[in-house]
Amino acid sequence: MNKLNEIPDKNPFKVPENYFKEVNRKIISATSGYENEIRKIGFYNRFKPYFLVAASVTGFVILSYVAVTILSPGKKPMQVSEVINEENPELYLNDIDIFTLEENVASMVLSQEESEVSKADIVDYLLQDNIEISDIYEKL
Amino acid sequence: MNTIKPDDNIAEILKTDPNKGFSLVVEKYSSRLYWHIRRLVIIHEDADDALQNTFINAWKSMGDFRNESSLYTWLYTIATNEALALINKRKRNAAVSIDDLGSHFANSREGSTWFDGDEAQVKLQNAILKLPEKQRIVFNLKYFDEMPYEEMSKVTSTSEGALKASYHHAVKKIEKLLGGD
Repeated sequence: MNKLNEIPDKNPFKVPENYFKEVNRKIISATSGYENEIRKIGFYNRFKPYFLVAASVTGFVILSYVAVTILSPGKKPMQVSEVINEENPELYLNDIDIFTLEENVASMVLSQEESEVSKADIVDYLLQDNIEISDIYEKL
Repeated sequence: MNTIKPDDNIAEILKTDPNKGFSLVVEKYSSRLYWHIRRLVIIHEDADDALQNTFINAWKSMGDFRNESSLYTWLYTIATNEALALINKRKRNAAVSIDDLGSHFANSREGSTWFDGDEAQVKLQNAILKLPEKQRIVFNLKYFDEMPYEEMSKVTSTSEGALKASYHHAVKKIEKLLGGD
């Protein structure tokens, strides 16, 4: 006897009243706020593969440059001041404002004067000790 | 039950007016998909969640839908996956596992509210619950939805020969379980 065929073809499960009407309304309402995939294909999405390739190539070039610069043996990287002096000394002077330049020059002149005054003082001091002037200048 | 044939008209409306087309899809297929999911997950609230997720996922990936494949089998595939995901989630939470429909409904409020099967119906549902997952899906699609093997093959990504064998084994097991009482 085929037991399966004896069971009446009746759906034993039930749903709340008006369930399908309600659930259809809920689904349509929930999805109305979404942009679906058909509409979402904008400029970025359309050209996304090209952007990714371009970004990868750029990254590779930057990394290669950095690697070659850091890892290549031999020439030591020059300091900024060396580069300025070697390649274009005017650049350095042009970048300094006039007040800074005057201050630097004044301090250099002052230090030279101080140096001469102190030399005269030394000569005077030594002359007081009866040392011959010719010997003093010879030593200085 | 008769199977639903692919509706070219809805597919056309989906292209020109996605919102209107989708409303037609929901109205046409929600009931069938609900019963397919409900027979797998048993509990109404779970079936309700899975049905809504099915349509939301279908809407979100409407771009993946190709005209050459049937809208109907595509929706069944999503619904089946949603139902299986829910069953697996429930398996991880042993507290809500359903192994025996009779005892589950006898001990829950849902028993008197959303199930009115007689003793034979409960026995049949219990026998179906004892089948392996794949056989359950195949049995339900063939026995209740009367889905042709060709369409079932698209839904389950399984060859027709394997589906026929699976259904045959499922029927044998169910009859054995029913006859053993």
